[in-house]
Amino acid sequence: MRWVLPFAALAAAAWPGKAEVVTFYKDITPIIYHSCAPCHRPGEAGPFPLLTYEDVKKHATQIVAVTSRRYMPPWLPEAGHGDFQDEQGLSDTQIRLIEEWVQHGAQAGVPADAAPLPKFTLGWQLGAPDLVLRAAAPYPLRADGPDEYWNFVLPMKLAGTRWVKAIEIRPGNARAVHHANVLIDRSRTARTQEKTPGSGFPGMDLNIEADTFDPDSHFLFWKPGGIPWEEPEGMAWRADSSTDLILNVHMQPTGKPEMVQPSIGLYFTDQAGTKFPMLVQLEHDSALDIPPGARDFQVSDDFTVPMDMDVLAVYPHAHYLGRLLEGYATLPDGSRRWLIRIPDWDVNWQAVYRYKEPVFLPKGSVVSMRFHYDNSDANARNPNHPAKRVRGGNQATDEMGHLWLQVLPRGSEDRRMELQEAIMRHRLDKYPGDFSAHFNLGALQLARGNAAEAIPSLRSAVEARPEQPVALNALGAALMTTGNASDAAALFERALRSNPQYTNARYNLADALAEEQQWEQSAAQFRQVLKESPEDAGAREHLGEVLRLWGNQMAAAGRLEDAAAHFRECLLFRQDDAALHSDLGTVLAKLGRFREAVPEFETAVRLDPHLDTAKHNLQAARARLEKAGEQGAIR
Amino acid sequence: MHGLRFLLLWAAAATGFGAVSGTLNLDGKAVDPFEPAAKVRVFIFVRTDCPVSNRYAPELKRLSDEFAPRGAIFAMVYADPAETIENIRRHLGEFGFPGAVIRDPAHSLVRRAKATITPEAAVFSAEGKLLYHGRIDNRYVELGKAMVAPTRHDLEEAIAAALDGRPQPEESAPAVGCYLADVE
Repeated sequence: MRWVLPFAALAAAAWPGKAEVVTFYKDITPIIYHSCAPCHRPGEAGPFPLLTYEDVKKHATQIVAVTSRRYMPPWLPEAGHGDFQDEQGLSDTQIRLIEEWVQHGAQAGVPADAAPLPKFTLGWQLGAPDLVLRAAAPYPLRADGPDEYWNFVLPMKLAGTRWVKAIEIRPGNARAVHHANVLIDRSRTARTQEKTPGSGFPGMDLNIEADTFDPDSHFLFWKPGGIPWEEPEGMAWRADSSTDLILNVHMQPTGKPEMVQPSIGLYFTDQAGTKFPMLVQLEHDSALDIPPGARDFQVSDDFTVPMDMDVLAVYPHAHYLGRLLEGYATLPDGSRRWLIRIPDWDVNWQAVYRYKEPVFLPKGSVVSMRFHYDNSDANARNPNHPAKRVRGGNQATDEMGHLWLQVLPRGSEDRRMELQEAIMRHRLDKYPGDFSAHFNLGALQLARGNAAEAIPSLRSAVEARPEQPVALNALGAALMTTGNASDAAALFERALRSNPQYTNARYNLADALAEEQQWEQSAAQFRQVLKESPEDAGAREHLGEVLRLWGNQMAAAGRLEDAAAHFRECLLFRQDDAALHSDLGTVLAKLGRFREAVPEFETAVRLDPHLDTAKHNLQAARARLEKAGEQGAIR
Repeated sequence: MHGLRFLLLWAAAATGFGAVSGTLNLDGKAVDPFEPAAKVRVFIFVRTDCPVSNRYAPELKRLSDEFAPRGAIFAMVYADPAETIENIRRHLGEFGFPGAVIRDPAHSLVRRAKATITPEAAVFSAEGKLLYHGRIDNRYVELGKAMVAPTRHDLEEAIAAALDGRPQPEESAPAVGCYLADVE
């Protein structure tokens, strides 16, 4: 008669003492198994197991204390302000029931009444991953002291591009790791912050720089007890062979020295991404300048969405001073739609919250972030006692205020560029001289093929950061596209002065010099590109072309030795070019070097039997050779 | 052995501070937690499975290093009757808690020290008078809410006052951690 159980449980809570006594097996196991045991079991993050009556009895008073304060199970969002998956909070009824149980002696009851114990999976929750990336070396966490934030760099060693439908993070030391975040570093720039390769680097948050348009699209987040997220159909994300994953880990000392060596498991799919979500960030970092003692310092941002879209998930983020975090949307009809409300922020339990049903925002809706901070001594979590001025930044002693949304624009096409443009224009409203906004707007126009429109934005970006090589390179590319190769070349040279290893800028410089018909300088730059990147097919092709044209110019000018040399080097890249062999033969013949000319004509004719000039010249050259033979000459 | 223990207990009772019985060492032998004599005696109530008391291991080591040379004797008290000796040994080894080790399965020392929480400290005078009991410091405001570093070191102040023969500082907030009542 199992159907009686819920009723009995409710009755016990509603009329204490009158109904039958609350027992562990009958009333408490459903709560414990569902809401506590996923973490509180061997190998997981909970500091003690909660699986048996003895386990739970040993912590009964503590469980009452932490559940009644809603510290456990950890769940920050306020009910009624967003309908989320995998909600972990307990209901008032459940909390009362636990209290009741402890008040009446925490009795065991009859084991046969127990809820079925879930089948917990040890280790990887999604089964054996297709690829496991493990941190190169463990991080030694001190026994004592403040929380630590560490970034592990995990290079993807893939043979080619793969599509990732899920990742799972194993913390390597569940007791010490509080949460973890994965960032995709396609440009492999974050690793430059490591002192030695594989050693990782500190920091609570990090910025990833990218020089192509490939915006963040997925939340790759782990928290204790979280169920690994499998992306829905068509929403897999791309992993390239040259991608680094940066695993940002929040660790809390446990009282003894700990080693933390996390792993990421990746699960691939053959189905490429067909939907293009994007992460949208609301923030006003420059306004984060909180005077000491301020009890309610507010930071806000409002973003008007440029298209119909669905919000799939939300990730609010602040550090230790954050108190009340609110995110909501005001729809065009004036109504308010709550996205999230966290009345008592605790960075230790930050999480990504995914909506049960996507939240639809029509074009023109305004998404608002309202974050409140407490920088007084009354805030126990304040890292500074006495309080001091705190500004925005990536370290734990800095503050942060970000409301991230994962959105999917409506419609079947990829509309991320349009969205990115709106985000960057909004950024310019907040920060008129902002480098990244100007740069991104310019890069977007370039990607769309609107070089002329890209130039003003890119000029502003270069003005904001005159030595920034990526911006210099992009502005150069825009100028070159509009036909201004000489100014472009100067910009590429500036980019190379900032970063001599910037191969893309060197390639562009070589192209600009070719455009200017400065063959010698162009060829020298292309040769350098191939030294840095020997497999660069484009550079091989372009160098070949430059040598060809340079050779032609020399031949026309009568500098036949030079022409022959350039044609010969060109052959390294164009072995199968019949006309090139023929032209080289012609130049050699003009120089009277018939013995060298003949094999070139022969190759030309073999490659292209219809190449009449080569056939004709071959016969002529052979004839000259024979004649020379008769005369005893050796040329 | 039994006779000796009886005498000691009786002596304790005679001084009017209440008897302590049933305290054991890790070999399962009955021990008097107040032996040998000490200028100041510090008990710390801990559990192997309390993350809060575990986190205090380095701080307790620091306090012991500071005060043991001045005549304070530290002892860790494990009061969970179900806790195995093997587990306690492993726990001590992993976390490096300082001082002696006492098991108090009957909670007689718990009562004598008026302890309710792990980690909670009790400071006794040479005569066996309870001078201080409560939190180690103010790092934990409540379960799940901790400061980056404590601003008030209650136990340190209490031991220093006891060693110097000064009056104890004013009582502070109660200890935060796991409940000894759960392991009676």
